[in-house]
Amino acid sequence: MNTEQRRKERIDRGIKVRTDGLYAVMSWRELSYLTLPRIVLIVGLLILPFVMPSMYWQRVISIVCIYALLAVSFDLLAHFVGLVSLGGALFIGVGGYLSAIMNTSLGFPPLLAIPIATIAGAGICTLLLLPCLPLRGVYFAIVSLMYPLAMTRVIEALDILGGTDGIMGIDSFPNRWVEQYFVILMVLLFLFGVRRLVNLDIGLVLRAVKDNDQAVRASGMSITLYKAVAVFISSAMGCLGGACIVHIYMWSGMSLFALDFSIIPIAATVIGGAGTLVGPVLGCLILVPVSELLREFGTLRIVFYSLILVGFIVFRSEGIMVYGQRKYHQIERWVKV
Amino acid sequence: MLEATGLMVFYENMLALNNVSIKCEDKQIVGVFGANSAGKSTLMYTISGIMEDIRKKEDMAGGERITVLGQVRFLGRDITDLKPSKRAREGIVLCPERRRIFPECSVMENLRIGAYLATSSQAKDTLEYVFKVYPPLERLQKRVGGFLSGGEQQMLAVGRALMAQPKLLLMDEPLLGLSPRIQSMLVRSTKEIRDEKGISIIVTEQYARPVLPIVDYAFILENGAAVLEGPRDEVLDNPDVRSAYFGVS
Repeated sequence: MNTEQRRKERIDRGIKVRTDGLYAVMSWRELSYLTLPRIVLIVGLLILPFVMPSMYWQRVISIVCIYALLAVSFDLLAHFVGLVSLGGALFIGVGGYLSAIMNTSLGFPPLLAIPIATIAGAGICTLLLLPCLPLRGVYFAIVSLMYPLAMTRVIEALDILGGTDGIMGIDSFPNRWVEQYFVILMVLLFLFGVRRLVNLDIGLVLRAVKDNDQAVRASGMSITLYKAVAVFISSAMGCLGGACIVHIYMWSGMSLFALDFSIIPIAATVIGGAGTLVGPVLGCLILVPVSELLREFGTLRIVFYSLILVGFIVFRSEGIMVYGQRKYHQIERWVKV
Repeated sequence: MLEATGLMVFYENMLALNNVSIKCEDKQIVGVFGANSAGKSTLMYTISGIMEDIRKKEDMAGGERITVLGQVRFLGRDITDLKPSKRAREGIVLCPERRRIFPECSVMENLRIGAYLATSSQAKDTLEYVFKVYPPLERLQKRVGGFLSGGEQQMLAVGRALMAQPKLLLMDEPLLGLSPRIQSMLVRSTKEIRDEKGISIIVTEQYARPVLPIVDYAFILENGAAVLEGPRDEVLDNPDVRSAYFGVS
């Protein structure tokens, strides 16, 4: 016989149970239990530009935020719609070039060019990806990976859009505070917006598409339409990031289509916790600075990077956020069976 | 032959199996009956070891915590901690619920995948035997598994399990969703397999009537607990069982 008839039990904390309903407003303690994690995230992101030691690191914050936008967009597509997207580079590139063209050719100021590039870029990306939306399986991943590869070659071969030199002389943000707070606020806006979205009716349909698209079709809904909406939203996030990045670097070139933009968000999602939306942002906050720190190792940093990733997948494939949420909401104890 | 004692399985805090002990003697057909959520599939997964696999996956992904307590002995050996693949090598082969055939492989390929553990002469003999017990399969050899009808898929699933040279065959709801005619054919063939091959069989089912005639010993599960057990005739005569699992009042 198994002598040790004990098992570890997980139960929700009392405060979690109490704050599930309307009773949450009964006391400050319970209110703070609910809001504290959110406040920590919001305030934490907002004070980041102040605590960074140098201009260089402030710039890193902007880049982190752009990756965070991409990571949230990946998480939305992969874990709420079931489309594994490798199109981060496509979104960044389309948004970036659009904003750059509008700024240099049409003379739009950055704060006008960015929103237009976001919407127009999302439209373009959605149209480009539309043919593979009715299909299930790896096709979406393949197609979204092929576009950025094709784009760089097209730009190079036809020597359009500045060719290999890229488009130069793009206006920057009015000053670096505007730049940083703009991207940080956008991350927060989209993060909480998407979190809201996936709990609305349309979010339910999207999750249903992920679970069983045939059942959704049988309910008389067009899965292509719903997938297109989701792709539009998440490519808007990516295009926004791309539009911001060209105004940060004041340059738009072929490296906007670099695969980093497709891969790092995925890595961040794995580390942060898939399907939590907050997790990917946390993942970016960890991964991007780490990769900056490892910059002095040159190309060897990819090795460290891969090691971190493999370590996470092998030992904690749930991700930081899932783990953290569980610890926050639940206690564990040994009970006799 | 197989003796499972004090099996308790928790999915997180939900008790799926509550102190269930079942045993299966040599060359016996043992029936396990119970409604949905009674714990039949959990019992099958626990005996075949797949529960261990599910537990590890859930653990890695941070999902539900599954706790398995109790002991499983097979042929006098404690196999509680054995991996499902090792258990299959020992001779415990599961024919899973909803068949789980490989839908994109042909019938022949499905059977050959099942024969992975067998030597080539064993595989050849068993293949002939499977075609003898389930004649329709011989005709359908080249058809893709996913396009077979439900009954044919079930025959294929049992055939595939037989190819693995089981000493103990676990059949999880083999009659699920089949017409009465196919059901009775499958039940007859199950008995045939036991008689000719000398394989012990544990079969689970919700509705006992079609299967009970061939079982030697029966267990009734209710809400995760074994509420009743006994030889066939004893169970057959029990008025509660008759009303609950036979539809006879």
